[in-house]
Parts: sequence; structure tokens; C-alpha cells
Amino acid sequence: MKKIIAQGLKYKYPLAETLALNDISFEVEAGEFIGVIGKNSAGKSTLCQAMVGLVPHFYKGAYGGKVLVDGLEVKQHSIADLSLKVGMVFQNPFTQVTGSKMTVYEEIAFGLENIGLPRDEMLKRIDEVLKLLKIEHVKDHNPFDLSGGQLQRMAIAGIIAMKPEILVLDEPTSQLDPAGSDEVFRAIHELSQQGFTVIMAEHKMEKVAQYCNRVLLLDEGKVAAFDTPEKIFSRDDLESYGVTAPVYTRVCRALGVKNAGTDCYPVTLEDAEMALRGVIK
Amino acid sequence: MKSISLYVDRESFVHDVDPITKLIYILFAILVPIILPSFTVSFICVGISLLLILAAGVFRKTLPIFGFVFLVLITVVIIQGLFRPENETVLFQIGPFAMYQEGLHYALKITLRVVNIVGAFMILVLTTKPSHLVESLVRKGMSPRIGYVIVSVFQIIPEMMASMSTITDAQRSRGMETEGNLLVRIKAFLPLLGPVVLGSLINTKERAMALEVRGFNSRTPKTYLNVEKTYAYSKGIQALLLLLIVGAVAWRIFL
Repeated sequence: MKKIIAQGLKYKYPLAETLALNDISFEVEAGEFIGVIGKNSAGKSTLCQAMVGLVPHFYKGAYGGKVLVDGLEVKQHSIADLSLKVGMVFQNPFTQVTGSKMTVYEEIAFGLENIGLPRDEMLKRIDEVLKLLKIEHVKDHNPFDLSGGQLQRMAIAGIIAMKPEILVLDEPTSQLDPAGSDEVFRAIHELSQQGFTVIMAEHKMEKVAQYCNRVLLLDEGKVAAFDTPEKIFSRDDLESYGVTAPVYTRVCRALGVKNAGTDCYPVTLEDAEMALRGVIK
Repeated sequence: MKSISLYVDRESFVHDVDPITKLIYILFAILVPIILPSFTVSFICVGISLLLILAAGVFRKTLPIFGFVFLVLITVVIIQGLFRPENETVLFQIGPFAMYQEGLHYALKITLRVVNIVGAFMILVLTTKPSHLVESLVRKGMSPRIGYVIVSVFQIIPEMMASMSTITDAQRSRGMETEGNLLVRIKAFLPLLGPVVLGSLINTKERAMALEVRGFNSRTPKTYLNVEKTYAYSKGIQALLLLLIVGAVAWRIFL
């Protein structure tokens, strides 16, 4: 089943001269983990926001083409309606805190109160997501006292509790330390395994290669390529898109070692090890 | 995290009473002395407020606030006592200045009213969590957006102050003078405004987006995580207070 269908999506921010998204078309199947990569201002964040309706409802601006999210056309539905289908987590964990709640527990309830969920169901879902994201031990803390990693997991919990089937993450770990970002990636990976469709814009290519089924390479608002991580990171013109391949791929490329039986370089540590051991033998 | 709310966490029956009843009490404490302008009524209202403050165990917290209020009221007493146009009867003389009975009488009336109003508000502010108050108002039909703005101020202002001190430290580490006479301090303040104001504007945009994707503008009626706190006698107390206000009006008109 197709979860997301974008057809000829074009978008220009108000007061901008150029199109932020220029004729974007792609399809995402249910349960896929999609990485969105590209250099800064390639349109990654704009594309993420176009899935949840912030583009065009929040910014206004010129909009063309269409995006269907789980059968709903983004242009025709409010952000609140879409929030039941697709959730979004932003870069900065600190600005995602509502600031109107005194504890992590209440903070997670914020979205559920807004969508008018009965209280019993609310309690059940909050306990569930606290466990899922491993933040039960801080549930009575004030959100502003948490670490970056915990805060970001709380933000994800707040979104997951609303039970969307699609999760959009816009560089969720760019402001976190390595330990915090590992916590977050592990949580996202777990959600993906539970059947969530995940779209993640990210700069850490090793993580993209490790977790994503397919990678969408953006360049100046256009889709440059949409393929498996192996094919994307084995491209010779990757540098011209401002993307550096994972370190394992670069090592194997320098050594001229490809995955056995294919024309692609390894993209993860495990693949690289296998390929290199194969060569040594 | 430091809080800018004055709420004092205690166990008392005043804390248990729901915020709406406390709001009605404020209405009562303001209206009744105006409707019935006798000293006895004013004294009784002040007395009730003070008793409630004592019962809630927050009397000490009220002292600095009353101290400030009295500072203002002393000037009222002096000015009215000396210069009120209706002044006729000299009560006593301090050097060349004469204190008049009419002026002091009027000053006492103002003092009682102010103490009364401040006292009634203090009961609400010191014994009710801001979030709790706002939630009850939203349940009664206030817009959740206005409610959000009020509650978030209590957390976001301290956050902004924290980021302000971080920026101050950063500027100081680059050699900016932040201590000294007034001029130096004012000069040090200007370079802070840019980052703090711009930073909070950007934060506000991001926060607005984060609220949007969590259904902030959803048209479905809101539900609440916290069970509505009800006090057994609150309906009775509310009815009594409203009855007393109506009674006071009737008293004023017919007697």
C-alpha cells in the first residue's frame, strides 16, 4: 500500500525568488524507512514540512502539484486533521517543548488533549510511549530539566502517542551529543521495526546507510535520485550534490572493493567487513 | 528550574477549593464593600480574607506584598489627611501641618478597599497553581489559545532569562564590560537585545510549528489529562457568595 504519494510538488516561500521544491514526485510504501539527504537549502526541511501540511498551511506561499498522505490530500486538509495520520519531530529539541506543562507526563498528553482523546485512553497511550522510548524514569521531571537526548525522545513520544502511521523527522539529532543521538536513532529504528513509515532528513550518512531502505537525494529542490543506499552512495557524482558517502563506502571505494556480485560499494560497517574479508581470502 | 509563580505548595482546605470559587470570592470581596460603604462591612471582608490566608498557611508570603502596598498607602494617608478639599475638622497638628479628620477618614476607606482587594487576590495567587487556574477557565469556555499563552509565560520567561544570562557570559568572555556605573550597564545591555530578541522570535516560530503538528488548532473539543478538581462544598460556597452579593445590592436599594 502506498503511504505517501507526491506528484509534481512545487512550492515557493512567500517573498522568495526561487522555488524551494521544484517538481517533486515520489512514492513511499507502508513500513518503509526513507532517508532524505542533500546539501543545506536543498529543500529537505521544506519537503518534510510538506508532508505534515506546514507547507503550505503554516507559511502560505505558492503551491503546485499534490501530496497524498495516507489518502488525504495535504492541501485540502488542516494540519490538525493531518496530525492524526502523520507526526513530525523537529531539529531543535528545546523549542518543541510546549512550555505550558510542568512534567514530561503532562507534556506528552498535550497533543492527546488537543485531539480530544478520552482520559483512560490517554493514560494507556502515555504509559505505552514512555516505555517504548525508555523515558519512564523521567516522567515526573520538568521538561526543561531533561538532557537533549531525553528531550528529543520526549518529543517523539508526544508525537507517537497521537498514533500517526507516518513519522517525519527533520534532522532529529543535529543538536545532540553522540550519546544522545544514539539514543534517538535506536528509538527511531525500533519504531520503524514496529511498522511505522519513517521519513528522515539527516546529515549523518552512516546512520542513513544503516537504517534506511531507500534514500531520496535532493538537489536545489529537485529529486536527483531515489534509490537504495548502496546505489545512492556508490554514485560517482555524489560530491557534486554536496553529500559525502559513509566512511565505510569511501574506504572501500579507495580500495576498489565492491559488494560481492553487485556493482555497488558497501555502505555499512558489516557489509564493508564482509566485502573486505572476501577480498583478503 | 526557578519559577516566577508565587504559588505556595501546602495542604489546606483553602488549597483544595477550586479556582472558580476563589475567583467568585474576589468578586465578592471587591463588590460588597463598594455596594455597602460602611467600615464594618469592609473590616469584616478584610477579616475574612486574613483568616483564609492564615488558614492556608501562606501569611508570611503575603508580608512583602502588603509591605509594598502599605508604602503606597502611607502616601495616600498623608496627602488625603493634609490636602483633601473637604477637610474641615483639625484632628491634630504636626508643626505647621494640620491633619484633618475628613481626609483621614477617606484615606482609611481607600486603605481598607486596597487591602481587601489585595488580600482576596493573594488567596487566589498563593494557593492556586497558575496552570490549574487556567485549566479551570478553559473548561468554563475560555479559549485554549489564551490559556496556553498565560501558562507558557510562566515557563518561557525563566527560559529566556536563562538564555539571556548565557549570552551575557558569552559577551563578557569576549571582553565586554558588564559591571560598573549605570552608563556601562546600559551600554552592556544593548548588544544583548539583538541575540535575545531575534533568538526568541526564531524559537517562537519553531514552537508554533511544533504546536501545530500536535493538533493545537484542532476543532475537536479538548479533553484533559487531569481530572477536574472539585471541592465538596464549592457549589454551596459559590451560591452563598453570590447570594450575599445580591443581598448586599438589595440591602442598599431597599433599606
